[in-house]
Amino acid sequence: MKNDKTAENVVETQELTKSFGADVAVQSLSMYVPRGKIFGFIGPSGCGKTTTVRLLTGFYKPTSGTLSVLGKDPAAFSKSDQGKIGYLIQQFVLYPDLTVWENLNFAASFYGVSPFRRRRLNKLLDFVELSGDRNKLARDLSGGMKRRLSLAATMVHNPELLFLDEPTAGIDPILRRKFWEYFKELQADGHTLFITTQYVGEAAYCDLVGVMYEGRLLMIATPEGLRKKAYGGDVVGIKTTEGMSFEQRNQVEALPFVHGKVKVIDAQENDVIVDEASAAIPTLMEWCQAQNLNVETIEEKSPPFDDVFVKIIETEAEHD
Amino acid sequence: MIRFFIRISSFLGKEMTEIFRQPLLILTLVLGPFLIMSLFGLAYPDQNRALRTTFVATNPDAFQNELVLFTEAYSSTIVDQGVETDKDLALSKLALNETDLVIVIPDAPFETIQNNQQAELEVYHNEVDPFQTGYIQTIASIYVNEVNRRILQTVTEQGQADSGSLQSGLETAIAKTQELRQAVSPEDANATTQAAELEKDLTDLHENLSTFRSLASGVLVNPFSVKTSGLSGIQFTVTGFFAPSVIVLLLQHLSITFAALSIVRESRSGIMELFRVAPITAFETLVGKYLSYLFFEIVLAGIITGLAIWLLRIPILGPLQDYALAVIILLFTSLGVGFLISLISQTDTQAVQYSMLLLLASIFFSGFFLDLRLMREPITALAWSLPATYGIRMLQDVMLRGSSVPPTIFQGIALIGIVLFVVDWFLLKRKMES
Repeated sequence: MKNDKTAENVVETQELTKSFGADVAVQSLSMYVPRGKIFGFIGPSGCGKTTTVRLLTGFYKPTSGTLSVLGKDPAAFSKSDQGKIGYLIQQFVLYPDLTVWENLNFAASFYGVSPFRRRRLNKLLDFVELSGDRNKLARDLSGGMKRRLSLAATMVHNPELLFLDEPTAGIDPILRRKFWEYFKELQADGHTLFITTQYVGEAAYCDLVGVMYEGRLLMIATPEGLRKKAYGGDVVGIKTTEGMSFEQRNQVEALPFVHGKVKVIDAQENDVIVDEASAAIPTLMEWCQAQNLNVETIEEKSPPFDDVFVKIIETEAEHD
Repeated sequence: MIRFFIRISSFLGKEMTEIFRQPLLILTLVLGPFLIMSLFGLAYPDQNRALRTTFVATNPDAFQNELVLFTEAYSSTIVDQGVETDKDLALSKLALNETDLVIVIPDAPFETIQNNQQAELEVYHNEVDPFQTGYIQTIASIYVNEVNRRILQTVTEQGQADSGSLQSGLETAIAKTQELRQAVSPEDANATTQAAELEKDLTDLHENLSTFRSLASGVLVNPFSVKTSGLSGIQFTVTGFFAPSVIVLLLQHLSITFAALSIVRESRSGIMELFRVAPITAFETLVGKYLSYLFFEIVLAGIITGLAIWLLRIPILGPLQDYALAVIILLFTSLGVGFLISLISQTDTQAVQYSMLLLLASIFFSGFFLDLRLMREPITALAWSLPATYGIRMLQDVMLRGSSVPPTIFQGIALIGIVLFVVDWFLLKRKMES
């Protein structure tokens, strides 16, 4: 995997591998996370996302390879370095017999936040919309509220870099969207976020996406770049009144900016993979007119990320 | 440096809040032991168990007077259930728990004694408890001593009465000796001297006999009596004696249980993963936890002690600061044991089981109800590895004997506490780093 290394990367790994006996949880992972970005780490359950986060936070030591987080090997982190990192664990680990406020206060204390922190904690509670529930015991909170409390506790010491391990797992779509709004706000405040998720659709919210599968990082790209890499270019859908003949489809495939075969959707509609949709659409329009094809619609398609992910996995399987 | 204290305070506040969020638990912890001690005091009156006793004699009428006298004298330990003539019937009553003791009086005991043999009293019981068996053996021993004493007293009284006629004979002999001395010629010096010596011997014998007759038969038979006194000058009740041990056992168990559940729960919840990547250290975590539990349990110990003093009237004869010192070092060391359990346990259940095992070991080996001086030497090492052993010794000394905390005992428990702190720190560090 080719990395565009810059001095602004807060996370960098080279050939990072973690094995547990004969099981290889993470294999030759090379990646980077630029400062101030939201990095989505996407993959199915058990693909090595949490192991990667644990390697990056210093919880695990790598079997081989190198890694740098905020310019240091996590194994050599000082207390000060650890204070620059926030880590949201998958499950709810705070104390059920403490209230929302007490849990937040506890987290602030063990991160060594100044005792004059009331304003900051109030701000955080406002941010995660739990101000009205500050006196509720954690055990009485709903699943979504617990996740929000955990997020607030993760940010209590205002860390530069946040590792959020499946923060949206098991919560409803509306709240998930809300969480991504929080994450965008945090990014706007200058935080870098490393977020793992198994909801492929959440890739759209990220600046950069890494796709994990069976312990390997298949690719890193922007969400759009991911689509392009998955399909080999932009997807343009052409719907004509008459439909395309076999010969006409062959002619389209022969165009220099078209890649692969034309995909027949139905009698009237076909999908074409092109280098750049914006440049290809006028040329395809002209070609249709020259062929006396009455174009009903011609537009760039954005396949759902679920399809993109499946396509990437299929391509990977073909390569194997 | 300030962050060090802030991080320690995180656990101090957290643990305290979690504990005080359970008022029913606190109430149980305070009132529970106090109620147990009160019930204990009520359950065991400060007197010996009275034994229902059946006597067996082939000729009951011959001993009726002695038996009445005896059972009256020992009414606190003997409840007379009458005299049976059939030994087997009496033993069957014993087997059916209708009587506690069967005392078989031998046939013709006085004849046996006159034949220069001991008359044997047979005492039967149906106890399995070694303490109760010991108690009965003591009672039997006291009983036979009493019988012997009464016989001796009777014989002595008879001797004193008989010596009356002997004394009058002596007086006559002295008078005749005086007459003999006066009748002897003064020139016969030898005869005069012999008569004077005879007179003196007879006079001494007469005086000795007078002394013998003038002494009370009870004093002659029991010339020595015994009076025992404790240095504190206080006769403790059962509750009073057990109070320090109960307080120690309770405080040790509370400390161990609280601490044992503390870290194992956090390991199970997953928050340890967060601690490991956060700037908090194992030392800060451990100190925070020690402080929070120490604070809570010192308050608890204060309340329990207060209740024991004011309501159960248990005294603290020694210096109060020594009592406080003993309690604090006991709590510190017990917490160390609890954290050790917490760090080696995989589950809550395992931690609770270890705590209960330790409680059981403390009951048996700490000197709680069996004196350590009765214990075989190698096993005393186990006893002295338990904080309760030191705690009981310290609190008994301070509360009941009115002395200070014995320095060697204090140093011993403090050493164990410090070693445990270091071991716990090492294990927690390893847990947070591995």
